Amino acid sequence: MLNLKSVDASIDRIPILRDISLNVDPAETIALVGRNGAGKTTLLRSIMGFTSCTGAITFEGRNLFDIAPHQRPALGIGYAPEDRRLFSRFTITENILLPARVAGLDEAETKRRLDRIYLVMPELETLGPRPAGSVSGGQGKMVALGRAMMLSTRLLMLDEPFQGLAPVLANRYAEALGKLREIDPTLAIIITESNPGLLRRFASRMVTVERGRIDSDVATVAAA
Amino acid sequence: MDIILLALLDGIAYAALLFLVAVGLTLIFGVLGILNIAHGSLYAIGAYVTATIGTWLVANGYNPWLTFPALIVSAILVGVILGGLIERLLLSRIYTKEPILQLLITFAVFMILENLQRMIWGVQPYFLDTPLTLLGNVSLAGVNYTLYQVAFLPLAAIAVLVFLRYFLRHTTMGAQILAVTEDREAASSIGINATWVYFVTFVIGASFAALGGALATPTTSLVTGMGANMIVLSFAVAATAGLGQIEGAAVSALMIGIARSFAVYLAPEIEVVMPYLIMVLVLLVRPNGLFGKETVRKI
Repeated sequence: MLNLKSVDASIDRIPILRDISLNVDPAETIALVGRNGAGKTTLLRSIMGFTSCTGAITFEGRNLFDIAPHQRPALGIGYAPEDRRLFSRFTITENILLPARVAGLDEAETKRRLDRIYLVMPELETLGPRPAGSVSGGQGKMVALGRAMMLSTRLLMLDEPFQGLAPVLANRYAEALGKLREIDPTLAIIITESNPGLLRRFASRMVTVERGRIDSDVATVAAA
Repeated sequence: MDIILLALLDGIAYAALLFLVAVGLTLIFGVLGILNIAHGSLYAIGAYVTATIGTWLVANGYNPWLTFPALIVSAILVGVILGGLIERLLLSRIYTKEPILQLLITFAVFMILENLQRMIWGVQPYFLDTPLTLLGNVSLAGVNYTLYQVAFLPLAAIAVLVFLRYFLRHTTMGAQILAVTEDREAASSIGINATWVYFVTFVIGASFAALGGALATPTTSLVTGMGANMIVLSFAVAATAGLGQIEGAAVSALMIGIARSFAVYLAPEIEVVMPYLIMVLVLLVRPNGLFGKETVRKI
């Protein structure tokens, strides 16, 4: 489904990723692990089109280099960037619904997707009317996941979702991901994390990035 | 007493024009992060185009009331065509460049457009008072005043403020503008075309500058250099409010417009410095402007 071939990426002409080749199939949950600065975030940003890349990135047979960054979510790619990055002038519900409004989804489809989000994270329905700037870090991560889920019909990419979460909230977040996997078994998920132990439970593959290169790519117990 | 009322009415009418120009400037700065010096030229060209179209309509025997829609049409024409060209051909190439370079480029555009005005319209003053005479005068507490200035201009400014508030808070395009303003990359990652948002915002802001010029046409003679005066004044309004603050621009335009008008009647020797005096006093107490918020600088 998603294929990266010999991808080099740079930010402000500084090379960050070198010769990255990776294949992601539907239904896979890939843990992208590595130390801070290894290039995990840059890899996700490159898939979204926010860096200068060479090599090839294809998604369901389409060359992503021919598709503008803002058109990639319409392919079914949802992305929750690091640090939540919610739009503070909107409420929680408005943040979650904004991708649907921009994509021009009809009311029935929007409701169907919103119900799917509330099924995974019922707390978002209660939090809905609150301003996005007023929620805690953990709640904000949930909202960012909900917003990414609105368009992620094929691929969901989560950048460091567990970073800075208290253990209780981290468990709740993991539980939500488990529920998502249960209701949407064909969705491909890529999660970046500095601590491999956190993702071992539900990742089907563990890909380690080290100094901008893929160091190892192994199937995990969860895949069995 | 008459002088106070006259100063107040003059101030409100002038504040309405100041607001129209300043709100465009502050909208563009708030979204694109560019302080557009050429905004003053868009004001002047909006005025010249209005005078040209209006004069042509009247001279060719068309209904003089058509000069009213001509005000709006001229503003939209200038905003879309000239504003669109400036954004597409120049600004879209420099969004990631240093602010000082952006400032210099918009200053260069301003200089080019100033000379273009001289080439097209010459240096003789232009007049178009048809809308002013059509609406006639009104007597307020014994003071005669033009209905155009006492009612039409303030109502136009209020309409623009209401439109902007509604547009930004209740339409999908408005929501996209707010999202891109806050975080361009996060906005792109949910499917928002930031390039298009920048273009639309610039065209709207440029149209407001041109509308300010268009609505000023019946109240003043159009002379070269009017754009320079207006960009400096509208910058004072925007800075006093806090750059990027739309409702704040309305309040500070009213403050500066009325204070300047009172200075004209009561202390003419400080009329020119009055707007900047207010700006300096406000910025001394509140460096981010009356309505500006403190932001954490990323280093």
